[in-house]
Amino acid sequence: MTSAHSKLYSDDVSLVVVLVDTNPIFWATAALPFADFFAHLIHFVNSILLLNHLNRVVIIAAGVSSCAYIFDSSDAGPASGVGVSDTFDKASRKVEEFIAQEARATASNGSVAPANTSSLLSGALSLALCYIQRIFRSGTRHPQPRILCLQGSPDGPEQYVAVMNSIFSAQRSVVPIDSCIVGTQDSAFLQQASYITGGVYLKPQELNGLFQYLAAVFATDLHSRAFLRLPKTLGVDFRASCFCHKKTIDMGYVCSVCLSIFCKNQRKCSTCGSEFSRVMPDLNSMPDQSK
Amino acid sequence: MGSMTIGAKYKTTPKDPGTPGILRMNEDKFTFIPNDPRSAMKFNVDFRSIKGHKFNKVDGDKPALLNLLKEEKAGGYMFGFDSVGNRDLCRDFVARVLGKHQGIVPSRPTARPDNSVASAGLEQLSAAEVERRVKLLREDSELQKLHKKFVLGNILQESEFWATRKNLLDDEANKASKQRSGFKSALVDVRPSADGRTNKVTFQLTTETIHQIFAEKPAVHRAFLNFVPKKLSESQFWEKYFRAEYLLRTKNTAAATAEAAGDEELAVFLKNDDILAKEAMLKIKRVDPTLDMEADAGDDYIHLPDHGILRDGSKETVDTDSELVRRTLSQDLNRHAAVVLEGKASDVELTNTKTVAEALARSKKEPPSNSAVDDANHERLLKVARMTEIEDLQAPRSLPYAPLCIKDPKEYFDSQQANALRSLGGTNDGRKARNCSLSTEEAFHHLMDQVSSIKVNKLNCPIIQSDMALKVLNELNEGISRSRRLNLKNPQEGLLGQLPQHTRDELMDHWTAIQELLRHFWSSYPVTSAVLYNKVQRVKEAMTQIYQKLQHIKESAQPDVRHEVSRLVKPMTQALDAAFNHDLEQQQKSSKGGSRPNGF
Amino acid sequence: MPQVMVVARNFMDMVAALPAGKLDMLYDSAFICEAVLRSLPPLAKKYALQMLYVLSPVTAAAMEEWVLDGYAAKHRVAIDKLLQLRVFVEVRDRRKEVSYKMNQKFQGNMQKYLVDGGSLPREPLPSSITGRLPASADLEAYALDQWERFLLQLINSSQVEKGTSFSSSMMKTFQRGLLSSRDGEAPKLTENGFQFLLMEINAQLWYIMREYILSAEERGVDPTELISFLLELSFHKLGAAYSLNTLTDVQRIAIRDLAELGLVKMQQGRKDSWFVPTQLATNLSASLSDSSSSKEGFVVVETNFRMYAYSTSKLHCEILRLFSRVEYQLPNLIVGAITKESIYGAFENGITAEQIISFLKQNAHPRVADKIPTVPENVTDQIRLWETDRNRVEMVPSHLYEDFPSKEWFEQCCDHARDHGYLLWEDTRRMRLIVRGEFHPEMREFLRRQR
Repeated sequence: MTSAHSKLYSDDVSLVVVLVDTNPIFWATAALPFADFFAHLIHFVNSILLLNHLNRVVIIAAGVSSCAYIFDSSDAGPASGVGVSDTFDKASRKVEEFIAQEARATASNGSVAPANTSSLLSGALSLALCYIQRIFRSGTRHPQPRILCLQGSPDGPEQYVAVMNSIFSAQRSVVPIDSCIVGTQDSAFLQQASYITGGVYLKPQELNGLFQYLAAVFATDLHSRAFLRLPKTLGVDFRASCFCHKKTIDMGYVCSVCLSIFCKNQRKCSTCGSEFSRVMPDLNSMPDQSK
Repeated sequence: MGSMTIGAKYKTTPKDPGTPGILRMNEDKFTFIPNDPRSAMKFNVDFRSIKGHKFNKVDGDKPALLNLLKEEKAGGYMFGFDSVGNRDLCRDFVARVLGKHQGIVPSRPTARPDNSVASAGLEQLSAAEVERRVKLLREDSELQKLHKKFVLGNILQESEFWATRKNLLDDEANKASKQRSGFKSALVDVRPSADGRTNKVTFQLTTETIHQIFAEKPAVHRAFLNFVPKKLSESQFWEKYFRAEYLLRTKNTAAATAEAAGDEELAVFLKNDDILAKEAMLKIKRVDPTLDMEADAGDDYIHLPDHGILRDGSKETVDTDSELVRRTLSQDLNRHAAVVLEGKASDVELTNTKTVAEALARSKKEPPSNSAVDDANHERLLKVARMTEIEDLQAPRSLPYAPLCIKDPKEYFDSQQANALRSLGGTNDGRKARNCSLSTEEAFHHLMDQVSSIKVNKLNCPIIQSDMALKVLNELNEGISRSRRLNLKNPQEGLLGQLPQHTRDELMDHWTAIQELLRHFWSSYPVTSAVLYNKVQRVKEAMTQIYQKLQHIKESAQPDVRHEVSRLVKPMTQALDAAFNHDLEQQQKSSKGGSRPNGF
Repeated sequence: MPQVMVVARNFMDMVAALPAGKLDMLYDSAFICEAVLRSLPPLAKKYALQMLYVLSPVTAAAMEEWVLDGYAAKHRVAIDKLLQLRVFVEVRDRRKEVSYKMNQKFQGNMQKYLVDGGSLPREPLPSSITGRLPASADLEAYALDQWERFLLQLINSSQVEKGTSFSSSMMKTFQRGLLSSRDGEAPKLTENGFQFLLMEINAQLWYIMREYILSAEERGVDPTELISFLLELSFHKLGAAYSLNTLTDVQRIAIRDLAELGLVKMQQGRKDSWFVPTQLATNLSASLSDSSSSKEGFVVVETNFRMYAYSTSKLHCEILRLFSRVEYQLPNLIVGAITKESIYGAFENGITAEQIISFLKQNAHPRVADKIPTVPENVTDQIRLWETDRNRVEMVPSHLYEDFPSKEWFEQCCDHARDHGYLLWEDTRRMRLIVRGEFHPEMREFLRRQR
């Protein structure tokens, strides 16, 4: 991985932005209870901070209606030695606040979410990228950033465009997105994200050993990744899914305005609302070879 | 452009006295007819065979030469002229003709394929652009292959080929940064020039010097704003200014006082600059009172011989009697330094004296009240810091980034294989979620319970059991060694790896070619002009050929890889079929629609 | 910036050289475990982390599978380091297959540390006793001032006012290589000393610390105690006060020496006295893992060999003077020129071209630090050329033999010398040859036998 940034520390100093899925619907039925998951997570964060005093970790929670920063190791001041139990206290307090607030927001909205509600992956990714951009622009030397997504809930097709945009901007600024699936379904979004940005995609078999996966695979700094063989997924599903029926397609129609993909010819783009002229029905939405 | 006829001498070498004769040039060719009809030095040359021209620098009594160079070191035609003027006329004409010719020179068969540019005379390319394209082609073999196949194969036009790659072309164009020019660091010093015949001196002024004068001499600036154009015209103003300058320069004190008495505007220039004096007073006030100014008196060596500042080659002598001469050079220098450091406002357009004067007035905050002095001073310092920043030493303002790209088209084929596997395998693990339906509220409740249990239990140690950790590690190790084995056995992982090398290369070539063609094909719809129609026909033709080749590959494949090949070829043929169908539909539609053939 | 790593590793090498029992004793403290972990190369850190909860041994072969082809050396280095520091322990089973397992004490400590963070052997004093402690900026200034003073004294003992002279134990430390210590003579900087001056500050710190511990060892102090104290010290809170009463005798002596260098600031209360760790101390463990300091540089070198150093520090000026001609000294700017004479002066003092170049690169002003190359190539090339220029002539003590009575004899001699690899030069026509000096006795013997 060649870096586009010159102001990096020379060695293995990393900034890890961890995106945590706090979707209540998912955690209610998950194989690994949230409390255990959280313990694994904090353990992982502490061990990253342990490896190098310049390492930084940020945790962002992705809920169903909002996202928030849960923890930022750079707030804690000189982290060496004394910060370990702080991490736990601070993060658990913030998570509690965040979930309580989410619960209130959902209750006041009165909307009963469908059973497979997805978390705001796109929002969390954007927050993470914004944070990283701020580090880039701070002008001083900065650690090498990467993003780790701990996702459980299924992909939200309505976020497709936003997620893809985030992925591309991550690739553009050379930020790998690692994905660790703690749910039951593979995530096509994260598969693509990890593939495009050069991160690792992994779906652990033994969720009770989550920390071991995190420590053995996802704690590996970008410097060492250059000479290590990390788990690889067999083939990534590159095919786009159509926006209308979420079917995976080989060939389809692409909106000339927003590049949304449809399996059938449409009168009007359901994403951006552009109307395709009926006089020349084939001219604006023309099939393209999909890749 | 016309033609040109001029007397010249044809020379075989620069030393050759040459054959005098008449040189006639028009847009296509040039002819030389010697004065002496018996001479054999007579020729008629097409400009297309001329690659360039050279000329010499003329000094002394050497003749002015112009050399028209033929291609590839084949020599040239050298002409001598009686005067540089004639030569230059001729040179300019030749340059124009050559410039025109070289824009539309058809690709020469002798030249290397990647050097040939512009197949049709539609485009006028600058040399720099041509160079950039050639460079791009040379750097990217893939691109070069496509270029060779389509542009030289007359399927696409040069311009069409590049039209889809505009981003490559102008990527580098706007990289060069511009440096703003500040004030000249030379002291403003407008010298009079005397013509020697009449008793008159002339000063030359440009808006830039005017700007500088205004900046350095606030009193002049103020006078300009006051007098022009109400009392004086601009030229009158400058006339007076320079008269005063002239008097000062010639140290004609008596005359100066006399003139000042008679002319109040002139007197303004002869007086000490009161604005500067005020500023100086302010500065002196700010000086630490404990500083003993008297101590410096001894440092003033100007009264001693061999000391002092030299100006105009002669020493500036101090005449303490006259107030006028107190405007010493060192004062001017200091003021000048301050002005240069302050810099000029970037938005000032130096077009006309009036605007210059007004802009300067705007940019300058008029006399600061005493309390604001510190503020203004601080501001000035800030501005100085900003103006003296050296662009060359600045970091680039925008962040660097990696270009977006589709990594490797090969991966697409790998994914085909993975998808095939997936459809076989179905769900890939036995982990099923406990399927109970919960309302959102209950779910949140559950989660909150979890969170509070975290706070109660804190972290338990050890967080995972050793055997679990080992199990996970072993599982990971297994996965790694599996992928390692795969890698060793078959370095070219995936579908493509199973094919023989040449078939693979061929397929990849076709794939890139198809992509290029499809891009052009789809982008020419709707077909609204004959040009587009032609293009579609050409592209279609090429696609048909590739289609046939693909069929051929499929049929001729070895039985053991036939299945793989056909799977690889399928997406390509699908894409091509879609294009052909579209074309067919369009044709049917337009034939139904009426007499307009082919949709335009 | 490889120097830091070299020296810091040297420190860790010193730790690794301790006997196994003592090393395990060191690992009683979670902080030392952490410091050791941080000093490891990135790959070794990863190995340690993935073994953190695995009690049973893991085969070496399984570990090696993760490494891509062609990077086996990295793997080797990481494993060696882990074994040397006894973080990993090698286990061989019946089939002689090598497995690794983590040091139990280290493992247990680290696991505990991750959960509750561990605690230092001493707590900071409450502000009711100490009153107002120095602000962090003051503390930093103090530390750097002490450190510069020390370096300045090294450069020229006459330049520093009397009264800041170092304690005898510190002086001994310097005399272990930085200063020559001939009796009756003012101590002079040695070759190592000059090289030391051009090092990066963290490298200097580790160098001094290593020398300090070694010299203490000569005085009969147990290095284990000093090492653990130093490593622990680096985890003390910056700017907090710690009572001297919590220290052992050895530590109390050491802390006074460290105060001279600016690692801690000593303060006296009404009845208590305490020490306040400065950045220099807290950076100790940090610099083990991070080879680059985040300090901003100050030097701009131009292609015309002119050097501009934006610094007010006298020390910087002195250091620049080691290899350049300082031309002007303005309030915040030192203008110098790199000349052949100045560089030759540096070479005389034993400074190498690479050291000068890396100093210029490390301390490059931020405006040029991003440029490639940071220091103009013509300057670096010229400095290197000047160095090789000096090495054009190689001096070899040797003997010249001539006036051989016969051609055969001469040739036999030549062959003999050549066979042993000692022949330097021969002139067949005039029958002369030159042989290395140390071969002379044998040559004489050979000639005698021939006679």
